[in-house]
Amino acid sequence: MGWLDANLVSILNGLALGGLLFLIAVGLSLVFGTMDVLNLAHGAVSLAGAYVGVAVLSPSAGFGDFVVALLIAAALGLVLGAGLAAMTHMVSGHLRQALLTLGIALVAGDVLREIFGADVESVPAPLGLDGSIDVLGNAYPVYRLVVIGVAAVIALVLYLLLDRTQLGALVRATVADRGMVEALGVRSDLVLAGVFALGAALAAVGGLLAAPVLGAAPGLDDTILLLALVVVVVGGLGSVRGALMGALLVGQVQTVGVSLLPDQASFLLFGAMALVLLVKPRGLFPVQGVSGANP
Amino acid sequence: MPNMPVCSRAVSSGRRRACGVGVVALGVAMASVLAACGGGSLSSDSGSESSESVKIGLVVPASGVYEPLGIDLTRGFELYLEQHDGKLGGKDVEVVKADEGEGPDKGVPATTKVITQDRVGAVVGLVNSATALGVKDTLTSSKTPLIVANAGADTLADGSKYIWRTSFTNGAVGEALGAEVAKEVGGEPVYLMASDYAAGRESVAGFKKSFEAAGGKVADEAYTPFGTTNDYQPYLSKIPRSGAKAVYVFYAGAEAVNFVKQYDAFGLAKDAPLYGAGFLTEGGVLKAQGAAADKIKTSLHYSDQIDSPENKEFVDAYTEAYDAAPTVYSVQAYDAAAVLDQALEKADKTDGESIAEALGEVGEIASPRGTWSFDDDHNPDQPYFLREVQSTGGAPVNAILSPLND
Repeated sequence: MGWLDANLVSILNGLALGGLLFLIAVGLSLVFGTMDVLNLAHGAVSLAGAYVGVAVLSPSAGFGDFVVALLIAAALGLVLGAGLAAMTHMVSGHLRQALLTLGIALVAGDVLREIFGADVESVPAPLGLDGSIDVLGNAYPVYRLVVIGVAAVIALVLYLLLDRTQLGALVRATVADRGMVEALGVRSDLVLAGVFALGAALAAVGGLLAAPVLGAAPGLDDTILLLALVVVVVGGLGSVRGALMGALLVGQVQTVGVSLLPDQASFLLFGAMALVLLVKPRGLFPVQGVSGANP
Repeated sequence: MPNMPVCSRAVSSGRRRACGVGVVALGVAMASVLAACGGGSLSSDSGSESSESVKIGLVVPASGVYEPLGIDLTRGFELYLEQHDGKLGGKDVEVVKADEGEGPDKGVPATTKVITQDRVGAVVGLVNSATALGVKDTLTSSKTPLIVANAGADTLADGSKYIWRTSFTNGAVGEALGAEVAKEVGGEPVYLMASDYAAGRESVAGFKKSFEAAGGKVADEAYTPFGTTNDYQPYLSKIPRSGAKAVYVFYAGAEAVNFVKQYDAFGLAKDAPLYGAGFLTEGGVLKAQGAAADKIKTSLHYSDQIDSPENKEFVDAYTEAYDAAPTVYSVQAYDAAAVLDQALEKADKTDGESIAEALGEVGEIASPRGTWSFDDDHNPDQPYFLREVQSTGGAPVNAILSPLND
């Protein structure tokens, strides 16, 4: 009981971090699962979302302003995702696609630095959600509780969309047998571009939601990309469920793990990843159905 | 259907597995390459040479996470030159700029380049201590003096004939605050936290030395991984349980912003006042911290709020020229130019050897931070100030509470 009491805030905080990581990583995972493209510009899209907050939100921004900013970030993400889909469509092969998206990431990082400067910028949490409340005698920021809720809702919607709707069935069918889907008169490249755009929109929204916690600064895109890659590897490539579980696990490792083993903090993240890969080389929830794993 | 030569869809699931992991490993490798890549170099080429001119290499970051510091350093140095008609010690100055980047991988070649290729008489700048240590041998063999305008590693300048420092040592900034905190907490324990690299460790060690000498008690210490820690909650939640009544930290840049905001968000600010080395709230980071930084007390050798005629004049000129308030970094580079001004006045020639010799004869520097001079180890013997973040009338500033005499 004493242990739980001492670590409750860390567990809660791990959920919040995990939620943010899920929103950012799920797009990376879906794009890889459906299009077989490893999008290394994913972190840059996410940082662009964070900078939407810097550009749009004033320190006294309320809840409504924040929602507007989220919509702008989502729209920006859709556009960037569609653009990336078109560009990666033109080259084939993992190495070329990775090099292309890496180049785009470098250019995007420099463009953002040109526009917003090299200083660290902060994005305020919406007014009313910027305080702290008491959680079993410990102060905890309200905003992070809201993040947990938002991430849970988006995860559920995404699951229902892909698993229970005709649109989701179309995406899954395109992945499973593209030739057959095209024979039915569907333009499969549009379906896949749609998935890419959706994934990028989620990354931008996740970046903006993370901004009040992580800020916005040059170099953050690399940090985000690396964390998202770890989440995707741990969870299993290509599945929504894998991204969710991977994100939650990484979140807990980064909070409870660090709290228990502060001296090993630098090694915990990659140590955990190595451990998962040793036991389950395909990640915790390897793809079945949703991605192109099945020939 | 687009082809996937590396990982075809048609292969068995076993092959595919190996492929997937391989591709992501490629991704991880490329992501880390990203971190190592930066912008280009800013060097301008040499012009004509006359006996009454001298070349100075200005090596500061123009890319990477320290770019904001590089901007302030450049502005401080250029402001001094502008105020003195582009002359130092009566000699025309040609400034050769190079990009220090983030670490020694970029900073050492950039410094070596201005020394060996541009043949500068002296080098000014260097933010990163590892870079400064990395060029030590080159300076000695080429007999070129370096005026360090920021890098704070404690023993960097010790015993070198060619390294002089207008900034600070990490230990001294922390040490200046120790006795004051011991007095303010009145025997209650204090928690120590820092980013886990040389600067953080030296800063805490300096603080601890004077703090414990003044009868202070340390509750516990924690060092967070440098550059990779985004969330400090696991560390912060240990502070109330340790019984600490105050906290001393060393953080800078983006880490300072995240730390201060989270310290406030997790409700610690009202129970345990936060103290730190002045970089915690200096320059651009203070704006990003906003109200969360209110009432943080720090020690530093400068604040644009210093109430002296010299500083007022400096702040006015700086604000007029750049439309921004000066920072401690601006002053360090401004003073580096002032030091060179004195040295070049005394030097009979403009080669590195003569300038290095003349640097030993430089006396007191009347600076915006107050009057200071070099000590035996070539570090500044300077006043430190107790500063508090206050936001009277809008933007938060580092108000001066009192001098901290060491």
